[in-house]
Amino acid sequence: MSIPDYMQCAEDHQTVLVVVQPVGIVPEEEFFRIYKRIASINQVSIRDSQRLLYIRYRHHYPPENNEWGDFQTHRKVVGLIAVTTCNSAKEWPQTSERFHGQKEVFGPTLYDSRLLVFGLQGEIAEQARTDVAFYSSYDKCEDVEKRVEDFVESIFIVLESKRLDRATDKSGDKIPLLCVPFEKKDFVGLDTDSRHYKKRCQGRMRKHVGDLCLQAGMLQDALVHYHMAVELLRSVNDFLWLGAALEGLCSASVIYHYPGGTAGKFGGRKPSVSQAADAGKRHRPGALTTNGISADTSSEIGRAKNCLSPEDIIEKYKEAISYYGKYKNAGVIELEACVKAVRVLAIQKRAMEASEFLQNAVYINLGQLSEEEKIQRYSILSELYDLIGFHRKSAFFKRVAAMQCVAPTIAEPGWRACYKLLLETLPGYSLSLDPKDFCKGTHRGWAAVQMRLLHELVYASRRMGNPGLSVRHLSFLLQTMLDFLSDQEKKEVTQSLENYTSKCPGGMEVIALPDGLKLPPVPFTKLPIVKSVKLLNLPVSLRPRKLKGLLGQNMATKSPFIYSPIIIHNRGEERCKKIDFQWVQGDVCEVQLMVYNPMPFELRVENMGLLTSGVEFESLPAALSLPAESGLYPVTLVGVPRTAGNITVNGYHTSVFGVMSDCMLDGLPGVKTSGCVVEVVPALPRLQLSTSLPRSANSRQPSSGEEPSSSVSVQLFNGESQQLLVTLENIASEPLETLEVTSKMVNTKEKVFGEFLTWDLEGALSQLPLKPGQTVVLTVNIKVKLDFSGQENLFQDLNDDGISVTGLPISSPLRQVLKPRAENKPMGTESGKPEYNQVKMLEAVLHFKYSGGQGQVEGYYRELSLGVHVDVEPSVFFTRVSTLPATSTRQCHLLLDVFNATEHELTVSARNNQDVVLHASECQRMAIQVDKFDLESLPEPDEERLRFASPRQLEEERQQVQGCRINAELGLVWNIPSLRRTGEASVEGVLNQLVLEHLQLAPLQWDVVVNGKPCDCNIIAECSVGEMVPLEVRLTNRSKNAVGPFSLNIIPFQDYQNGVHNYELQDAVTFIGSNTFYIDTVKPTEDCNCAGALLFLYAGDFYLNIKFQDDSSCGRDLPLAWFCLPNVHVKAVDSPF
Amino acid sequence: MAVCIAVVAKENYPLYIRSVPSENELKFHYTVHTSLDVVEEKVSAVGKVLVDQRELYLGLLYPTEDYKVYGYVTNSKVKFVIVVESSNTSLRDNEIRSMFRKLHNSFTDVMCNPFYNPGDLIQSKAFDSVVSSMMVQAC
Repeated sequence: MSIPDYMQCAEDHQTVLVVVQPVGIVPEEEFFRIYKRIASINQVSIRDSQRLLYIRYRHHYPPENNEWGDFQTHRKVVGLIAVTTCNSAKEWPQTSERFHGQKEVFGPTLYDSRLLVFGLQGEIAEQARTDVAFYSSYDKCEDVEKRVEDFVESIFIVLESKRLDRATDKSGDKIPLLCVPFEKKDFVGLDTDSRHYKKRCQGRMRKHVGDLCLQAGMLQDALVHYHMAVELLRSVNDFLWLGAALEGLCSASVIYHYPGGTAGKFGGRKPSVSQAADAGKRHRPGALTTNGISADTSSEIGRAKNCLSPEDIIEKYKEAISYYGKYKNAGVIELEACVKAVRVLAIQKRAMEASEFLQNAVYINLGQLSEEEKIQRYSILSELYDLIGFHRKSAFFKRVAAMQCVAPTIAEPGWRACYKLLLETLPGYSLSLDPKDFCKGTHRGWAAVQMRLLHELVYASRRMGNPGLSVRHLSFLLQTMLDFLSDQEKKEVTQSLENYTSKCPGGMEVIALPDGLKLPPVPFTKLPIVKSVKLLNLPVSLRPRKLKGLLGQNMATKSPFIYSPIIIHNRGEERCKKIDFQWVQGDVCEVQLMVYNPMPFELRVENMGLLTSGVEFESLPAALSLPAESGLYPVTLVGVPRTAGNITVNGYHTSVFGVMSDCMLDGLPGVKTSGCVVEVVPALPRLQLSTSLPRSANSRQPSSGEEPSSSVSVQLFNGESQQLLVTLENIASEPLETLEVTSKMVNTKEKVFGEFLTWDLEGALSQLPLKPGQTVVLTVNIKVKLDFSGQENLFQDLNDDGISVTGLPISSPLRQVLKPRAENKPMGTESGKPEYNQVKMLEAVLHFKYSGGQGQVEGYYRELSLGVHVDVEPSVFFTRVSTLPATSTRQCHLLLDVFNATEHELTVSARNNQDVVLHASECQRMAIQVDKFDLESLPEPDEERLRFASPRQLEEERQQVQGCRINAELGLVWNIPSLRRTGEASVEGVLNQLVLEHLQLAPLQWDVVVNGKPCDCNIIAECSVGEMVPLEVRLTNRSKNAVGPFSLNIIPFQDYQNGVHNYELQDAVTFIGSNTFYIDTVKPTEDCNCAGALLFLYAGDFYLNIKFQDDSSCGRDLPLAWFCLPNVHVKAVDSPF
Repeated sequence: MAVCIAVVAKENYPLYIRSVPSENELKFHYTVHTSLDVVEEKVSAVGKVLVDQRELYLGLLYPTEDYKVYGYVTNSKVKFVIVVESSNTSLRDNEIRSMFRKLHNSFTDVMCNPFYNPGDLIQSKAFDSVVSSMMVQAC
């Protein structure tokens, strides 16, 4: 006996063994259907005797095991049911023959047999035979169960008769010696008459009878017989049979104590409904009634005496096993006894002792086992360990069994079975194949053992021919065990993963195994490891901006309160998810991930893209290659939202080593995000800007969010102007409907005169709406006017002529002395030079605010900005300015010290004035005659400005306007012929208050009219000698206050042009009337005339000096410049008579 | 002396496992791993009776053909497992006990280290040297 039945349990001792076998050709499926129906009759209540017969069915039973039937009767095949197919009567004899042949196999032990014939109809089938049943087909065999029950009853009758037969002839004839197959030769030649021998025979027979009693349902009798057998056999040291008797005792006691059976889930007895129903009536030995006392008092007595206590059962099992252990040939018996004992212990929940039995079972040597038997043995060990709660041990043996399936000695390795068994070991190693269980914190487990198992799974699945499974397991290994893999292993694992994926790429689908296990997908969240996810705002020029009014409205609807802590709190929570910028439909959006590669080699990540929800999103995947063990590495993933709404970035997808993974952010530990929800606003047009001037790199440090997206830079000489063509192209799919342009100076420490940037938008606006692809051109004029003259002190040397305008009395004719400065004064010191050559920077930003399409409807616009950067080099500047009164009161001379700060020769010209040529770093004085300016007539600043600006500001502004006007009037222009560049020279910066005053047309306008002709400095009034020359002095008051009264004194004189003035002209000129004019108070905007007359007595050139009489009561508070009366030159000629 | 010494956390994952380098390391992993079944069984069996007076030393967990596996459980349910060779008969129970005690003391020192996070793998050099002193010197 070499094949152990690992499924055995103690209560099997009480069953009778029936073999059900197919004979001839029987379809397997049909056979097992019939077998199942037969096997359902596993306990039969015997009529009249109130006993139960338990039947064990086997469809396969090795005949050599049958030879041990005397040793333990439940091993004896007592019944045979043959199932056969017979289609025609012709086949019948042959079938019948086969059945008999089959009976021969178990011949000596069979009590009875049956043949179930399917398919045969007709004559033969109508025969009424007890041992053969005919059925027309496998579907029409309603009374199979009935037949089987009859069969069982007939077996019972034989069994009962045998029992009675054996039990009664105690002292009759010689008792035959029962023996197991391997003992037979030992007893040859033994003295059969010795007491010892007789006792042995008796003991063995007792034991046998005990077995029969147990099978026949007479538990108490069995116990008694076993006890007697134990005593008998102990006395003759018949250890094998003593063990059997002890085991029988144990079995009977187990049956008594645990009527539910010990087999547990392994196909134990099913208490059928019928059994439960007549449980009360039926007397079952040992079964307790409700009050705990057996109905049968005799059995009560027997129980107390004979039945073993649960502790004793184990003791006796131990003893029995130790006896079995003495016989090498009884290995199977010993093993089975161990298994039975373990099952009992499992019920008793005595795991430690059970493990000892199992430990013993492991070492039982059954000789040469076939591989299949080894597998069976290991898996049953595993099951038993599992039964007693030793899951790790169970897993260990299951794994051994799995390995045995594919042992190299096996010709056809059972990879499928191996894989299946390996899967079953997973719980024992506390390993689940769901990566989600591993993402919480660091992995804790028996990594070495788990890794080994995963490797084995990978290998088994590969050999099974399922590369998809291998990829999944290998991915799992890589993902969850990454921390435990050595660098070398990492390399190997990834290499083999790549090999597998080349055949079968890994994906995100759940792999369902045939036995129902589902393998969830394994996303590679650690290849690479993502540390932070940040949604990026659009570049400044593309950001959508909400129109202020609409934004305010939104805020207002949220709460009526300006401040409420509760609302703030709520918003804070909202905000932690939602980001406060927007993306635009149709525009490329970016998400920045900080990733690092934990692998010791370069990691190639392909097809990395975003996973989003909420909005239709076109992800543009990227491929990247991370260097080995890189530090944090920024990766930008891009995509285009195709619709508007709220978009949520859920995660990203990658393809690494040929495995596609979808990594969800909420499943990732330790990922920092600043929110993943962002609003996508409807599409807006997008402008692309190109300029006629070269672009400059955005070299400036990023100071604020208001960084211009691009900028142009140009170098200009001060006063030069330049045209900048800005071409705007609409490159989005939305039409551009509105466009606004504004400009803003940046960092204006410098005082700029005039408008820096000017443009005309009308032309551009007329082209709107701008369809996609169309362009519009805007011309922007850049004009730089800066004040470079800040360093007057360095020009001291130019002032050495001693002419100081400021201190001179106004009316002094000496002012007219103009000394042209012939000598050139080149700039002396080198050290001073850089200061004038200092390049000044002017920067401004042009903002293009535009909108259109659906985005405009929603109230969004975009702003494009263009930085204009001008390096202003000094051209010419005026180191000093002074004025000299001109001959006319309406005019004056402006003296400008012009300095050429360039390195080129240049010419400076004023309006209707000749050019002045200046060499590099040369300074010259220019004199320009200018009309005085009526500065009062300049427009007043409007009300609005008046209200908000400080007086100081207003004053400055006023000066600026005045300067501008003066500048325009002067029209000073420089020209560098070598560079062909021209520009304006501005005096604005150098005009000081005093000079301005001089340049200003006095508010009191004095006009002298001689002979009806207005007379000013250079005009020579002609008159005839002897004729009355009317002289009129008119005062126009343009000031705001009333002036006067004044008195004027007119003094005529002659100038000899040699510095000598002759005032003694009483005899040459006479006044008609008074030589003193008196002017009464003149109210603002009024004028006043006073007239007189002169009479020239001789011909000659006369001058009239009109002087104010020193009238201190008035005019004191008025500036001297206001009282500037022209000298009148009168030429008296002899009248032609 | 021991051929394998392991410290197993309360949650039954290894904090420390070291075996003689000459042998197959994985084998000891399996041995220690399966011995946890017995440890758990013993602890739960004793736990029912007297929690306070439970002896920390669990004795022989199970013998295999080549090795004997001994167990020890601290009050905080940290398990120590020592595997010795079956052929080494000179080792008495008392010596095993003293090995466990030494191990326990050293482990306590590790836990006292403020830079050690309970639950992390033990990487202390001092602990390592104590373990080394108890291991079979591989020559």
